[in-house]
Amino acid sequence: MVDDSPSNKISRRTALALPLGLAASSGTIFSNGFAKADEPVRGGTMVMIVQPEPSTLAHYAVTAGNIPPIATQIYEGLVTYDWDQNPQPSLATSWETAPDGKSITFKLRERVFFHNGNPFTSADVQFSFMEILKKYHPFAPLLLAELTGVDTPDAMTAILRLANPAPYLMKALAGRDLPIMCKSVFEGTPVLQNPTANKPIGTGPFKFGQWDRGQFVRLDRNDKYWKPGLPYLDHIIARFIPDAATRSAALETGEAHFAGYSAVNYADLARMKSNPILDTTMKGYEMTPALSVLELNANHPPLDKKEVRQAIAYAIDRKVILRDVMYGYGQPATGPLSRLFKTVGFYTDDVRNYDVPDRLEIANKLLDGAGLPRGSNGMRFGIHLEVNSFGEQWLRQAEYLKQALAIVGIDLTLRSEDTATWLRRVYTNYDYDMNEPFLSQGVDPVYGLNKQYLTSQIRKGVTFVNNSFYANPEFDDILNEAMREPDHGKRAALYKKAQQILAEDCPLVWLIDVQYVSVFNRKLHDHTTGPLGTQQAFERAWLEK
Amino acid sequence: MRFARYVGYRLLTALPVICGIIVLNFLLIHLAPGDAASVLAGESGAATPEYMDELRHKFGLDQSLGMQFLTYVSNLAHFNLGYSYRNDADVSSLILERLGPTSLLMLTAFGTALALGIILGLVAATGRNSWRDNVISLISLVAYATPGFWLGLMMIVIFSIGLGWLPTSGFDTVGAGHEGWAEVWDIGRHLVMPAVSLALFYLALYARLMRASILEQTGMDYVTTARAKGQTERRIMTGHVLRNALLPVVTLAGVQAGNLIGGSIVVETVFGWPGIGTLAFNALQSRDLNLILAIFFISACLVVVINLAVDVIYFMLDPRMEI
Repeated sequence: MVDDSPSNKISRRTALALPLGLAASSGTIFSNGFAKADEPVRGGTMVMIVQPEPSTLAHYAVTAGNIPPIATQIYEGLVTYDWDQNPQPSLATSWETAPDGKSITFKLRERVFFHNGNPFTSADVQFSFMEILKKYHPFAPLLLAELTGVDTPDAMTAILRLANPAPYLMKALAGRDLPIMCKSVFEGTPVLQNPTANKPIGTGPFKFGQWDRGQFVRLDRNDKYWKPGLPYLDHIIARFIPDAATRSAALETGEAHFAGYSAVNYADLARMKSNPILDTTMKGYEMTPALSVLELNANHPPLDKKEVRQAIAYAIDRKVILRDVMYGYGQPATGPLSRLFKTVGFYTDDVRNYDVPDRLEIANKLLDGAGLPRGSNGMRFGIHLEVNSFGEQWLRQAEYLKQALAIVGIDLTLRSEDTATWLRRVYTNYDYDMNEPFLSQGVDPVYGLNKQYLTSQIRKGVTFVNNSFYANPEFDDILNEAMREPDHGKRAALYKKAQQILAEDCPLVWLIDVQYVSVFNRKLHDHTTGPLGTQQAFERAWLEK
Repeated sequence: MRFARYVGYRLLTALPVICGIIVLNFLLIHLAPGDAASVLAGESGAATPEYMDELRHKFGLDQSLGMQFLTYVSNLAHFNLGYSYRNDADVSSLILERLGPTSLLMLTAFGTALALGIILGLVAATGRNSWRDNVISLISLVAYATPGFWLGLMMIVIFSIGLGWLPTSGFDTVGAGHEGWAEVWDIGRHLVMPAVSLALFYLALYARLMRASILEQTGMDYVTTARAKGQTERRIMTGHVLRNALLPVVTLAGVQAGNLIGGSIVVETVFGWPGIGTLAFNALQSRDLNLILAIFFISACLVVVINLAVDVIYFMLDPRMEI
């Protein structure tokens, strides 16, 4: 099994080395003395901060990022992943992909029970995949497009049948992405109206306890969990605190033990780090790649010209955004894929480089060449930027972009609207020039690339798909081939080509390779045990007494 | 009898007002671009058009506006506030859950502000230009000018992080399993900072208004008359001035009491208090129509009732008033 991250080990040592005076001044935190930090202790209630409060816990039908920290304590997947992102046994004990890549056979774990007492069998796998996930999971059109059926030759064997090889599927079988539900709970009822949507029943280490809206979700230890002796904690409380400053304060006072997914403002992190009872980690996000980007509407001239889009990409200094907007967390994006795909060999930086010393001269030259001379006020043309409504940092980014683009003669007007209006404008009415979303890239390039750049993904009214009207048949062919290519090396070569084409055509401008941060109390151990981090169960987490 | 008829008459005339509010709310909320399905899909990152159609069908958004309105009105007529699809819960239960914490916070803050405001105003006015008048005026000026969220955050820094006396946020200690007086004590500890940061603003308002109002009344002819009759200053103040001076304060308090149900988004956000303000704000952001309409509707009803109550209090304070 995967052990604790190195950063935690260091933190323990630092915690033990604390001067006594400091420890005493931080109140009750160390009042019981130091437990031996290497021996897990049973019991205790861990409080984690989840931001914002989820609207629903229907993890199988809604993929908002604030649901998995709670739902993955309850729902498990067929497999889980080690730090190298190799699948490891979970509800499935072993698996085998057929030589033609068109079926995957899973041997299932015996003596696993759902929280309602029902035994887990292949019928649950079949029902979950075919009747729930394939029909209602928002990512199903990508991840489960090839899935034609699930065979159940016996109670402990499930065979996923595929129309074509789907090499990405083995990366998406964790509880976060494709959870397994109990058939008898859902059978014969409309899935979207199921009463267990907000009282989930799964096989995981924690059972749903209580949800007081506006305050918290309480999860209780599953005493019959299939991993003997686990979990260590008695309860997990997911607390919802809308104000960022108060969230930080709750960690500083020790009221909360853990906050993942940058629930703490980047601006507060330096203060958190200097607090003797807290520590931070950037681990646990290896399978959660995300890029902040600019979407450019190619139907709005002059953004239809490749030179203009490239000039915009050259004009922006990503290091400034990184420093002033992201407080140094993350890296400048080099192209359409996150660096996190380096681990699995799909990332390349061998693409057109927009971060060069003479980038401003290049940008000006490109704009001159595109027939867009500067007017009397020094501006070449004006466009609107739709400010991302999901937080204050995006407004700061927009303010920087306005300054940066003015240097090369592009007059940017910022427009801020609420989320519903913004989504309608950008993904249904297409009444926008430039948009600054934050794009999750999923567990495989097939997710982030296909939905954003394929011609077939220009789908009016669907959010976060191809709204920049990028249409390149040659590129489409490469992506479709890569999707079905079982050979890893050939796949990697295809994705390299795809990234080079995209960087050249520049349908989007890639800004920052995002780095999330977790803040945790030093009394909490073994919270980040794999690349899915907060989006996998805290079964091994334990609290010093 | 005349009194009962008056109240009955007022309630009857309130009916068209409430009907008008229902229609207006419904139309206004539909003017906002975007719908619940697109917000839900937006948060999910991606969704098929079929899935979004199914969501819209489930939410009833695929029906004509007229049809949606009829469904809504007929639900209301059956005292059914509808279902929040976004929250997968009944609207009435969502609101009821928040009603307790909201009224606890608002009544505590409002009651404290009103009582203390009146007393401080009285103390200041009776010792005009004395040191206590100056101190009270200064404090109320500062309290009036300080933004609630800043005050809240500063209190957290001082009393939670610095001194460790009070919890930063929330309604009670989750999972502590307090019962009886321990629970009351626990909730009380959580209530102090939000109530104070909310109350201070109103307190300043009422104190200043009360002071000005008393000073105005003491210059009136009836006070001179009372003094000429040989009444003591204390009797003049409690028997004559106070009743008259309270009228403007009651008027203002009546207007502001409408906020009671609405809660305070700012204070709820800072202290993570599970109130109706944030519920309404989130409902509006996510276009959760049934929920937001229900909150509007209940607030409207409450304002009507409070206005009536204020008029009745006027009558009790000043029998010369016609009803």
